[in-house]
Amino acid sequence: MYGWIWRHLPGPLAVRVALAALLVAGAVALLMFVVFPWAEPLLPFNDVAVNPS
Amino acid sequence: MSRYEEPETREIPVPGLARRPDGRQGRPTGQPPRRTERREAAPPRRPAGPPRHHPRQEPRQSREEETRPIRVPPPEPPEDPPAAPPENPESPRSGGGRGRIVVRTVGELLITMGLVVLLFVVYELYVTNLMSAQLQREASADLDERWSQERELRAEPLEGEAFARIYIPSFGADWGFTIQEGTDGPTLEIGPGHYVDTAMPGEPGNFGVAGHRVGKGAPFNDLDLLNSCDAIVVETARSFFVYRVLPMKDEVANWAQRKASDPACANVAPLQDEQGAYDQTFGRVIVLPQRGDAVAPVPYQPSNVLPPASQASLMTLTTCHPQFSDRQRLIIHSVLTNEYQKQPGTGYDDLLREIGEA
Repeated sequence: MYGWIWRHLPGPLAVRVALAALLVAGAVALLMFVVFPWAEPLLPFNDVAVNPS
Repeated sequence: MSRYEEPETREIPVPGLARRPDGRQGRPTGQPPRRTERREAAPPRRPAGPPRHHPRQEPRQSREEETRPIRVPPPEPPEDPPAAPPENPESPRSGGGRGRIVVRTVGELLITMGLVVLLFVVYELYVTNLMSAQLQREASADLDERWSQERELRAEPLEGEAFARIYIPSFGADWGFTIQEGTDGPTLEIGPGHYVDTAMPGEPGNFGVAGHRVGKGAPFNDLDLLNSCDAIVVETARSFFVYRVLPMKDEVANWAQRKASDPACANVAPLQDEQGAYDQTFGRVIVLPQRGDAVAPVPYQPSNVLPPASQASLMTLTTCHPQFSDRQRLIIHSVLTNEYQKQPGTGYDDLLREIGEA
């Protein structure tokens, strides 16, 4: 998977490294700002209030 | 052109076939740019070599035109030899190659998932803190502005809006958060949240506040470290209210001998009495999440068990327990011991000296 991506990156090594870093940064940003905030309420360690049943 | 191409193209494949497979055997395909570079670099050497063995007439003709036609034909003949030999060694591999690709991809996906989980931990423990710190700064500045404009006259604060501050001196003089109205997710992201419909600061009844223990600024991270008689200060527009943690369950029996002499415990005494309304109200209690009555006017009792006039002025803090889990809730009950009117020009630091916590 990563080998396939690396082979399909254009340009010389420096450009490839830069592009790969960009891709990683984009994936991390997507996780941090979209996926994790969405998933967090579904997970069980942030309920701090007592709920009247 | 045709005259010279015929002898030259015949000559070139011979050294080309002899040399190239030697150097390129075993190398995997899929790296065309490197080969083209080598092919371009290689041909000039080869024509320089062969002409030495050939008669002198040919080199002159060939050197002039070899440079052009030789560079053109080499891509054609070499493509056959490299393409052919790799197929032979790789065709047996290709059966296992697919399996390898599958295994490798699965492995890469598993590693990726592990990294994503690690990243989530980083997000939960650090990134949410950064986000909440920003929200808390904005809420605090907003609260300061409203207090300075003396517009804090409406009794009921808006949902999600800060209306008070909480300080716990034993967590450090710089520990302080705004308290927002409401206990839903976005509100608790800003800081501790006030249970709607519970008492307001200083009122008889139970001033209930929930706060995160993990991430989101983790205001109530160390709530389990509070001891009896530790001060919890609530600042409103006009007053500082000093609450102190109630005696723990194991301290109630011999409270008079153990703690009553402590100046911090001056106005703190077990609430347990012959009436029994506060029998379950200790400094630290761990309950199931369904115990919404932990923030009832009289904790763990129906709301009509005592008339408001005879209710103690309590403050209850709730957070998750154990840490990183929502299995239970950690409850801290405290009782109002002092109220200080805010004087112009004085602040929390002055109050700390006043109550002996500085």
